[in-house]
Amino acid sequence: MKLTKYGIVALALAIAVLYGGCKNTAPSGPVAGLGGATVGKYVAVGNSLTAGYQSNGLFASAQAYSYPNLIAQQITQAGGTVGTFQQPLYSDPGTPDAGGINASRYELISWVGPVIGPRGSPAGSPINTTLPRPYDNLGVPGAVIFDFLDSTSVALKALAPRSNPLFALVLRNQAALGNSIFRQAVALKPDLVTFWLGNNDVLGFATSGGVSPNAPTSTPIFTALYTQAIGTLRAALPNAKIVVANIPDVRAIPFFNTLGPQIAAELPAGVVLQYQKHGTTGVADGTTNFTESNPPLITLTGAPYAPLLGHPGGKWYRDHSYPALPPGIDTTKPFGLHPQNPWPDALVLDATEQATAGASVQAFNAVIAGVAATNHAAVVDINGFFNNLKANGYRSAGLVFTADYVSGGTFSFDGVHPSDQGSGVVANQFIAVMNSSFGWSIPLVDVSALPALTVPLSKGSKVYPVIPEGSFSNLEMLWGTR
Amino acid sequence: MKRVRQLGETLLLTLIVASVALAGGFQLNEHGASAMSQGGAFAARASDASAIYFNPAGLGFQTTGSIYLGATGIVPTISFYGPAQNNTNAETKMNSQFFTPINVYITYPVMDRLQVGVGAYNAYGLGTEWPDNWSGKNLVTKVDLKTYWFTPTVAYRLADNLSIGAGVSYVSGTLLLKKAAPFDSRVTLDMTAHGWGFDGGIDYKATPQLTVGLSYRSKVKVDANGSAGFVPDIPVLPGGGVKASIALPATGYAGVAYKFSDALSLEADYQYIGWSSYDNLTFTFTKDGSSTSAPKNYSDTYILRVGGEYSLGSLKFRAGYYYDHTPVSDAYVDPLLPDANRHGLSAGIGLNLTEHLKVDAGYLFIKFLDRTVTNTIPATTFDGTYKSYANLFSLDLGYSL
Repeated sequence: MKLTKYGIVALALAIAVLYGGCKNTAPSGPVAGLGGATVGKYVAVGNSLTAGYQSNGLFASAQAYSYPNLIAQQITQAGGTVGTFQQPLYSDPGTPDAGGINASRYELISWVGPVIGPRGSPAGSPINTTLPRPYDNLGVPGAVIFDFLDSTSVALKALAPRSNPLFALVLRNQAALGNSIFRQAVALKPDLVTFWLGNNDVLGFATSGGVSPNAPTSTPIFTALYTQAIGTLRAALPNAKIVVANIPDVRAIPFFNTLGPQIAAELPAGVVLQYQKHGTTGVADGTTNFTESNPPLITLTGAPYAPLLGHPGGKWYRDHSYPALPPGIDTTKPFGLHPQNPWPDALVLDATEQATAGASVQAFNAVIAGVAATNHAAVVDINGFFNNLKANGYRSAGLVFTADYVSGGTFSFDGVHPSDQGSGVVANQFIAVMNSSFGWSIPLVDVSALPALTVPLSKGSKVYPVIPEGSFSNLEMLWGTR
Repeated sequence: MKRVRQLGETLLLTLIVASVALAGGFQLNEHGASAMSQGGAFAARASDASAIYFNPAGLGFQTTGSIYLGATGIVPTISFYGPAQNNTNAETKMNSQFFTPINVYITYPVMDRLQVGVGAYNAYGLGTEWPDNWSGKNLVTKVDLKTYWFTPTVAYRLADNLSIGAGVSYVSGTLLLKKAAPFDSRVTLDMTAHGWGFDGGIDYKATPQLTVGLSYRSKVKVDANGSAGFVPDIPVLPGGGVKASIALPATGYAGVAYKFSDALSLEADYQYIGWSSYDNLTFTFTKDGSSTSAPKNYSDTYILRVGGEYSLGSLKFRAGYYYDHTPVSDAYVDPLLPDANRHGLSAGIGLNLTEHLKVDAGYLFIKFLDRTVTNTIPATTFDGTYKSYANLFSLDLGYSL
């Protein structure tokens, strides 16, 4: 009897102890913070990638997910006081195309195709124009390394040959707020600067198939400009944290990796693609069946032309207003399959051009690493990250990102600029470097909480993405002839 | 778009493979209030109709027909802290859940020494449900697994101190799984499954005090059929029919019971679960006949159980404890099944209301050891700490002829 009573009491006690010790409490783990540092102002310097340009346009609903804006929000979570991160917002559907009326933004019009392109909606307009100070996001779509210190009037940059009206959007009121990206950035007295320029010094060459410009910025010039840019920035902000990102190899992005494999699959056995090598305007001097070790990369700008392979016709020459066909060209021959009606140089990055672009990326990244070390700047190895993304994909909490066009989830519809979730992934590369370099503990962006590419509901499938001719004109503007 | 399609299939596979992995933590061992009150150490005594589950040979020592029916209420509480990949240990609480596995056992002595019976119970069950927009939504937002076991059983008393028994189980189940999918869609996987298994046992009263029991329940291979539905329904995602063959593992009990007096009996059991049969899973898409396999890497595991009963007139006091070793290694832990080693502590009472009618009530508290995982497989990539516990309440009515 007694034993039983004691037994019951003991059991009740045991249960009470187990139960009481069992309210779930947070385990020890990372505590968000900035290691005692004060971050009251963050400024981002860069190009379209920094601006939050996406799917061939700049628009507010994508700018909201620019990697600098995401970083700013995470810094706030860690106790930073950067406040609202001010950006040169452009109302949806965003900036106009070359015609100046309709928005240039691409959307997935239909899975049947799929059809990707502008909807033909009227362009938006700037909506954050009365800010009495420079923007915190000074990313200018189309900016090259030269533009950082350049004080040329933004009005002039809107005219040929730059033909880029977005300098005027970002660098407002040069007289009062600062006449260069550098001056506007320094005027904000930032504690933290991210600096990601130099992409366009290679990308313009590569996306134009090595045509316009016909070479990347030369390495000596890039070296001089980059050294001067970071040196000047460091001198003006001796105590600021500076984070620079290097330049991804252009060959890692879907802009160059989508059409080639599709064309290869469509080519009949024994038939080769006849194409123009670097600098060629006449009869084809290159052939490929895409099985060689370093096949040419077909640019996404070739999408309107790929379905015409094997058919006689001169769409390329009409679209580009050639006054007369170049010598040797005969458009009555099957397009792309006959040497006299070749796949145009502007739509292919051949082996030589790839080597040129690759060598520049390698050289520029060596410069970036050296200059960063000299100036106590941390380096984000975006090149390594994107190469790894292409080779292995990137996984996060059940999400799978690859470098594939559309389906990969990382890139927006233009095949160059990250999607909302892709921006989150990029932001996390920056944050990880800040945490490890500065002893900070900023929580990373929850990528799964960012919007994925949105889609309509029709069914079907064809081989080539249907991208209307001319709809890439904004990209051409971004990297236009200099 | 072939690559898009492949991506979609990969994702769907990840989803299904992960969902089946939950079975480890979803094995239910609570199939009678009396047994549950005693830490589930019941395979040697097997002294009520729930012997159909614990050890069919136990029926051979039962000389009257009986009905034993009831249910268990399960209230789990699970928190996730992380994901560590995001440099955070923010808490996400699993949504409140309440599960009620049932048990019904009917036995009847067809002749001296020969007893037949049938049982209906849920040998695997439970689920998890997380907030719709939590950071693990691409892994799971809801999973609900139910299995129904129907087990006709026969037992024969070979001698006054030796009995054997055997049963055949028809298993029917449903699986519901929801999660976020690419392109901001949501997927719901709905499957039904069927399969057969068998079980057998032996019960030996070595001395008037000492009883030894062994029982074995076979692996059950269930064939699952169902469909994956995406909202919105995006053509590049592999909606449509899915088939799978899933092996629910074999389990066995070895129990020793000792009767210290007419009033007091104690028992210790070793339960074995053959999860290593769960090494590989193959799924087939009815849309195009393609199939794929995924490694599971579960380990065989065990549960140690002790419990006892003390009678005081028409009252019985029961208590018990068990330790349950998880079959899931760190790398395979995910929010579908935040499994961990567990301690279970139980207590309960039984009351004979009349000569024929009795009632058993039990309470079980399960504490999962905190589990911090730092190396989840690429398909999961979701590190963090899980903290879990559960309260279980069981009530059974018994009527004997």
